[in-house]
Amino acid sequence: MSRLQSAINTASADFRRNEAHNRRIVAEFRERQEAARHRRPQRDLERLDRQKKLTPRQRIELLLDPGTPFLELSSLAANMAYGGESPSASSIVGIGIVSGREVVVRADDPTVKGGAWYPLTAKKIVRALDIAMENRLPVIHLCDSAGGFLQLQSEVFPDRYMAGRIFRNQSILSKMGVKQLALVFGHCTAGGAYIPGLSDYSVIVRGTGAVFLGGPPLVKAATGEDVTVEELGGADMHTSVSGTCDYPADSEEHAIEIGREIVSQWDRLPRWDIQREAPEEPFYDPAEIYGIVPDDIKKSFEMREIIARVVDGSRFHEYQPAYGTTLVCGFANIWGYKVGILANNGVLFNDSSLKGAHFIELCNQNNTPLVFLQNITGYMVGREYERRGITKDGAKMIMAQSCSRVPKFTVMCNGSFGAGNYGMCGRAFDGRFLFSWPNHQIGVMGGDQAANTLAEVKANQMRRNGSAVDQAEIARLWEETRKAYQEQLSAYYATSELWDDGIIDPLDTRNALGMAISASLNAPLGPPGYGVFRF
Amino acid sequence: MPFKLAIDGKPHSLTILARRPQLVVAVDGRRHVVETVDAAGDGRRALTIDGAETGFVRAETVEGALLRIDGRTIEVRRLDAATEASAAGSGAHLVRAPMPGIVISIHKTAGDSVRRGETVITIESMKLQMKLDAPRDGEIAEIGIREGEGFEKDAVLARLAAPASEG
Repeated sequence: MSRLQSAINTASADFRRNEAHNRRIVAEFRERQEAARHRRPQRDLERLDRQKKLTPRQRIELLLDPGTPFLELSSLAANMAYGGESPSASSIVGIGIVSGREVVVRADDPTVKGGAWYPLTAKKIVRALDIAMENRLPVIHLCDSAGGFLQLQSEVFPDRYMAGRIFRNQSILSKMGVKQLALVFGHCTAGGAYIPGLSDYSVIVRGTGAVFLGGPPLVKAATGEDVTVEELGGADMHTSVSGTCDYPADSEEHAIEIGREIVSQWDRLPRWDIQREAPEEPFYDPAEIYGIVPDDIKKSFEMREIIARVVDGSRFHEYQPAYGTTLVCGFANIWGYKVGILANNGVLFNDSSLKGAHFIELCNQNNTPLVFLQNITGYMVGREYERRGITKDGAKMIMAQSCSRVPKFTVMCNGSFGAGNYGMCGRAFDGRFLFSWPNHQIGVMGGDQAANTLAEVKANQMRRNGSAVDQAEIARLWEETRKAYQEQLSAYYATSELWDDGIIDPLDTRNALGMAISASLNAPLGPPGYGVFRF
Repeated sequence: MPFKLAIDGKPHSLTILARRPQLVVAVDGRRHVVETVDAAGDGRRALTIDGAETGFVRAETVEGALLRIDGRTIEVRRLDAATEASAAGSGAHLVRAPMPGIVISIHKTAGDSVRRGETVITIESMKLQMKLDAPRDGEIAEIGIREGEGFEKDAVLARLAAPASEG
């Protein structure tokens, strides 16, 4: 495969300005991530210490095979919700290696409100279990939660994708033959009790671990019965009387040792046979991405320059290089794995949409996973393009993409506006993983456009009602709309709401994709076929 | 398949005749037996060619490699149909509009010389500003549009002068 030739001048003023801008953005992201991971009120850390408990991150470190990477997902979930009081949505989720097996690790965070589940905690856990199902990855639950956050119960409890879905997913995983292990370090109260209850294996720590549907205060209120935590749901009761848990452990370290031994008993199912070559570092320095991505979301950039800094040896076999040039399509390897890349180099036209649909079909026929690199302001609008059927050509791309049998991965490299988000495998399209760069913005349209559109509608309304157009009112509406939009457009808002699997430093794109692709190989490919393409 | 290599700019043809037990190649029709001796950890490597040991250091470049042998640096480039075609600059003297839009700024005027990848015009379309770059090194023959003007997709916005014929 031939090597892409970079036209980037690293000494140019543009490059240096972009680099300074993006390094600042990434530093801010790192700072926020550090705070979400480690910054906690002193009294919460002291309480944990008194209880002789480890922090959830210490538990994960002990659990993982030494020297192996951990791909943490959605580290900034809930960063813009609940006044910031639920860092990482009070839950740590990631993909790591335990006893030589790729697994999903999911940990409650007892350093925040006793590990209570906020609405976004439930969403994050459901997503973690969806990932386990889609990729057939075993799950290890590190349990230590007070249960649902009662003040927000209407957003945690009743609906289809709320807490109940966690237990539904656990059941389906077990039916699929995907293993689950629960390590009970603290309390598993109410719904949380079903996590060990529905796991194939469970270990519980003497003294601190407990599993019950209602804790002692609730039992007292309901029936008047006085009962201690140990009697009601402690390690010895559950492992010798009720059979709700399998193994008692004398300490957290002991529980983790037993857990690692359990995982080492699990069979390893064959992975599907992706085309592979020996991995090769990119020829061009990935750090140059900082100088390539512009300092303004309105400025475009050459996506081949990004591809050259992500793929093996910067080698790229470009498909239809002269047709539909606003969508770059081609084959490359990432950590040795063969992938088909679709990357935006401008608005999607009829020809670029058709090319995208065709290339997706080729990849499905060739068992090649798809990687979407998004920087898209939408499909082309205007009379000329509607007459040429831009809608039905876009529909073909969405159809081919939605019905793909190969795993799909999306990286939000910059803007993601309008229906282009759909064609390029946005969140709704069941990509296996979706990562965002911190400069990313997402919305049905940009802030200025939304404000202009609403101002226009309002002015027309005033004219229709026969009143004079109130310019001050229009200006106020414009400013308000733009401000509200701008906040919700940011990568931080998107990741707070779990519209992605986390923000990543652009330099980590290659590693994140490598681990994601590797994880995806555990699930067999789906059946081939599409719906009806509109010609 | 025989390879074509440019070694310090001069074309040579290379055919692999056998890979095992030793590598046997024909360079410009002459047969050589090559054996790898070792690769020292510091990047230095050595191999024997027709029985004579030769030490070298190798660094990759965009199109091939640089070799350092006996205090001399030798540039090796792989010549394939694609690189030969692009070296000839086939058809690449137009700067076309990839999208309909308007011109934001024009950075060059007729007569200016440009390098490949240098920005000639900045346009805006569908909320996106885009830089249109020179497709190759050359001289601007004509800028066909003014700042603020609109254009359709595929319109020719600038033209490079035809390359002066070599020799």
